[in-house]
Amino acid sequence: MMTRRAALGYSALAAAGLGMVWVLFVLIPRWSVQDSGAPVAQAAPGETATRKITAHLFFVAEDGLHLAAVEREIPYGEGTVEQATRIIEAQLEPAPAPYTSSIPSGTRLHGLFVSSLGEAFVDLSSEVSSAHPGGSLNELFTVYTIVDTLTTNLPAIMAVQVLIDGKEVDTLAGHVDLRRPLQENTRWVASTETEAKP
Amino acid sequence: MRDPRAFSCATILALLGLAVMLYGQGAAPGSPLIILTRDGRTPLPTTLVAGQEMVALDDLAGPFKIAIREDSVANAVRVTYKDKSILLTPDQTLASVGGRLVSLPAPLTRVGRRPSTSSGRPEPAEGRYLVPVEFINRAFALIYEEPIELRKASRLLIVGTLKVPRVEVHYEPLGNDLRVVFDMAPTFAHAIIQEQRRLLIRFDSDALDASIPLPPAQTVLAGVLVLDRSTIELDLGQRFASYRSSIPSSTPASSRIVVDLLSSVPETTTAPAPSPPPSAGESLATLAAPHPAIATIVIDPGHGGDDAGTRGPTGVQEKDVTLSVARHLKTAIEGRYGIRVLQTRDDDRRMGPDERAAYANNNKADLFISLHANASPQPDVKGAEVFYLGLDKYADQARRQAQLDGAVLPVFGGGTRQIDLVLWDLAQAKYVEQSTVLARLVESHLRSKVDVSPLGIQQGPMRVLVGVNMSAVLIEMGYLTNRGQEQALASGAYQESIVQAVTNAVAPFREYLEHGSDESVTEGAPPATATSGR
Repeated sequence: MMTRRAALGYSALAAAGLGMVWVLFVLIPRWSVQDSGAPVAQAAPGETATRKITAHLFFVAEDGLHLAAVEREIPYGEGTVEQATRIIEAQLEPAPAPYTSSIPSGTRLHGLFVSSLGEAFVDLSSEVSSAHPGGSLNELFTVYTIVDTLTTNLPAIMAVQVLIDGKEVDTLAGHVDLRRPLQENTRWVASTETEAKP
Repeated sequence: MRDPRAFSCATILALLGLAVMLYGQGAAPGSPLIILTRDGRTPLPTTLVAGQEMVALDDLAGPFKIAIREDSVANAVRVTYKDKSILLTPDQTLASVGGRLVSLPAPLTRVGRRPSTSSGRPEPAEGRYLVPVEFINRAFALIYEEPIELRKASRLLIVGTLKVPRVEVHYEPLGNDLRVVFDMAPTFAHAIIQEQRRLLIRFDSDALDASIPLPPAQTVLAGVLVLDRSTIELDLGQRFASYRSSIPSSTPASSRIVVDLLSSVPETTTAPAPSPPPSAGESLATLAAPHPAIATIVIDPGHGGDDAGTRGPTGVQEKDVTLSVARHLKTAIEGRYGIRVLQTRDDDRRMGPDERAAYANNNKADLFISLHANASPQPDVKGAEVFYLGLDKYADQARRQAQLDGAVLPVFGGGTRQIDLVLWDLAQAKYVEQSTVLARLVESHLRSKVDVSPLGIQQGPMRVLVGVNMSAVLIEMGYLTNRGQEQALASGAYQESIVQAVTNAVAPFREYLEHGSDESVTEGAPPATATSGR
């Protein structure tokens, strides 16, 4: 028979174990995401629910040969994943005049997650491929709009891979290799606004 | 010639050649001029008057839709085309074209009886006005909507922007071999194709203004004739064994094509005739280079099957344009260089990028050219672009790791051996430098033929290039989303310009591979960098 003292000891050990599990698997990851996920752009004053940040979004310039970095107020997100989600959602909205969106209309964001290596996986609906008009430059614009809009606004994100309906894909329209995460590439960005990155 | 049948054939072909020559040079003034338009040929009769070749204004009225009216006040004849007119005065060797005086070699002349009418004014239908043939190109060309070129010696009147090169053929016997020289002006693209017992020299032309004398007596060439509007056929003789071709000189104004027909007679094959001196740029194509730097080229027509690629505003599909250009390009490269050329697809079917790369790798190709047509949300964007592979830091690290890792395999008899492994999807990495050179050469030759986008050469993670184990580029030939370029991309002329440019880039790239450098490549700015990772 276990004595009452021994039973108390085992209970204390079990409670300490549960506490450690909570610290390891809940508290530390939350701290980690909050630390690394602070958006670069300054948050607008106000409560969290109405707070905004200024981010650079990318659209096809009037000359059709470059991407233009356009500043836009978007909702503040708590942590990297939420902020990245807000940025992509804003990027999927129609382009302001006189620009054109490089992302086919009707494309929706299914989900977004960030690995411990800072690789963001952006899961989009199939319209991003099925409604894509094609062309190498056009496809590069689409891909690097998504890549650059995350990497230039969120320093915690080092590379971006586009998924379609939750699956890895070869390309969007037959040209750009999407089988691995792509790093920031601002070669086609005409504006210098995005080049000065902290 | 010992074989009587061969002799008969040669005689017939020689007579045909003579007929063609006479047709081409026309010789006798008075035989009709040929009006050459995009719609075909129309004879235009001429007459000799006091040694001057004249043409009736009535005969010009039909083909050129002109109106002829006598101006009794000015005592002149007015030739009107649309809202413009020319005033011709009898007995004066001048024509007034919109107030500008143009000199003619002979005056306006009237032939036929001039009947009187009740009003006493002449009736032009009963008589005919003749003008010197030079009136057409000196005066009438100034008011006509399309360019007009008169080639009296060839009896040709070329109307419109037609490609009609003058091609003069002459022969140089070289022992048992025969050199056939084609002097072409101006320069148009050409290809040489061997089909069994004939050699076809195909020009990118609407018609040929050819001068072809009879070949000398020999055994490698039975005859020469103009086969159609763009082809000269060399009928090969019984002793023909092989040929080699070269382009010793080429400028936009003129170029010389040399075709050496080599005999199978032993003394010739053991001591072949000297080949023309090699020239920079577009040099030649011998059939039997011992260790060619480029033995096989794979052309990859982009898209196909249910993957139509991009579409133009009127429905032209990328997959059709790429296949058409690929077929022409294959013919042109084979014809000019004698290089083996393969296509990843020669029909309308879907192929994945790995399938395309595998086809090139398995055939041990030295060059991979992927053909595409571009698209933009902005309909004004136009111009060709050339892409080569750009790896960012992630892919580059993977490549380095793959090279470091290798594999250690046991060897028969004991011991081990280090084997280099190349990741299938990173095979292109070690060819990026060569592909950069190729991209520059292709871009520079494209620039001389078609509009090139301001972006010109670009580097990116192009999927179809990643896995090919050879120098490789992807050519976006133009923007199908641009209405003008859509029409151009669907046209034979634009496609031929692309074919010519890419074909021209092969020779200097081969020079680069064989000698390690090429002046046309090393000059200029460094390659554009596409990856700006952090």
